[in-house]
Amino acid sequence: MRIVISGFGTVGQGFAEVLSLRSDLLNAGGGVRIVAVFDSKSYAVDENGLDPIMLIERKNATGSVGTEKLSSGIEVLDSVGYDVLVEVSPTNIENGGDGLKNIEHALRNGKDVITVNKGPLALKFKELNKLAEKNNAILRFEGSVGGAMPIINLCSENLKGEKITSIRGIFNGTCNFILSRMDGGLPFEQALKEAQQLGYAESDPTYDIEGIDTACKVVILANSVFRRNVRFSDVSITGITSVSEDAIALAADQNMVIRLIGEVSDTVLEVSPRLIPKGHPLSISGTLNTAKILTDLAGPITISGKGAGRKETASAILSDLIAIMDRRR
Amino acid sequence: MESLRKVNVMMVNADIFVKDVPGQLVGSLEPISLVDGNIVGVVHNRDNIVNGRIGVNITFEVDSVEGLERLKNIWKSKDVMISRISSVIETFPMDYMLIGDIGPAQIEKLIKNAEKIIELESVDIRFSSNISEKKRTVMISAKVRAEEDLSRLNAFMTSACRKEGIVYIRGVGQ
Repeated sequence: MRIVISGFGTVGQGFAEVLSLRSDLLNAGGGVRIVAVFDSKSYAVDENGLDPIMLIERKNATGSVGTEKLSSGIEVLDSVGYDVLVEVSPTNIENGGDGLKNIEHALRNGKDVITVNKGPLALKFKELNKLAEKNNAILRFEGSVGGAMPIINLCSENLKGEKITSIRGIFNGTCNFILSRMDGGLPFEQALKEAQQLGYAESDPTYDIEGIDTACKVVILANSVFRRNVRFSDVSITGITSVSEDAIALAADQNMVIRLIGEVSDTVLEVSPRLIPKGHPLSISGTLNTAKILTDLAGPITISGKGAGRKETASAILSDLIAIMDRRR
Repeated sequence: MESLRKVNVMMVNADIFVKDVPGQLVGSLEPISLVDGNIVGVVHNRDNIVNGRIGVNITFEVDSVEGLERLKNIWKSKDVMISRISSVIETFPMDYMLIGDIGPAQIEKLIKNAEKIIELESVDIRFSSNISEKKRTVMISAKVRAEEDLSRLNAFMTSACRKEGIVYIRGVGQ
């Protein structure tokens, strides 16, 4: 299985590291090798396989993954024979960015794609799936929602016989960390600063705190699990910036907490802060993600896991890669 | 709402007296299943013996008034004495938190407008202790009789708060 990695930030490097850690498992399936990799500035290509650890070391030492200057990702994709594109470049919710172009190009050429890039999926889910189907390619995206929490494959594979009536969840660890710290008495601005210092929040936290990141995930769940045909603009979004210390204190008086909840059903598509009773599965604290899936036969199913992180998201990509290897065998 | 529970299931609490002989308690509970009822709780009160009968307090759900009447008739035919019986229609609770420049008069008006379109079983209002800022926080805990009413109340609150520029946070239901 020949892999191209598009994007070599935290997740790309995590995936390279996981590939080296799981070399025995992957070699048993006929062998997995990285034949090309590119970031925003550079690229590296080797049909015989690039050393994942060497790539990480070079990125850390020079800031670039490759030695060649990148003009376009598509040129790199056209220059090498590959089976799977692992698209892990940063999310662009405006127009999908280069990530969308790379995914479309790979699928158009019948290549399988694994992505955790929420922008292309939130903007063009239906089109990308049609493109994959038309070209007999596989598109998988487990890591795009909930990081290591296996929600998409759980719903679409393990719960295939169920009628899923709703999914409610915490899908953004940054917001959950901030709200959890506010439970302890910190004002919003201070909790945000702490999240930034600990590396949970970006220097520009807009995507997280305004609910945009959660909304992308809600769209992906609506389209993939509920077979709806919705776009990012269809989501009713309220972020957490208006949640005051006063509100947190009044909720606590009633034995409740406030959490940013994404909710999807056949009729609902919403991201908003919600009042959650303490002890409820959605009242968790810290950076964890959690989801409560309501089914007709099995009843409520609750899962939780690390929603982000280098190895955590890479583990979701690895599960998608193994699924593709099984299907292509 | 997360549950798939029936709307308007009647919750009933009854005090009955059964003869203090083996099998009488079970014999008094079986008819509840016969009318498709669902037993929620049973308290067998051995301290409350009157004329050789033991007091039993039972809480159960039943679908209809007709079902409850059938049960009463069965109990009478089995010599089970009914001391007290009361029923409560199941209610659906929801909490709303409102943040903004809002005072008691405005909240009262909001509730009155809600009551024009939805029958509210009960409403409880709490204001935050912080009244120095223009931005106040109010928590409204309401109960309605049917799941459909809850959806209508949610829609009303969303629309009213949006119109007034008030930040609105609702609960997740039962």
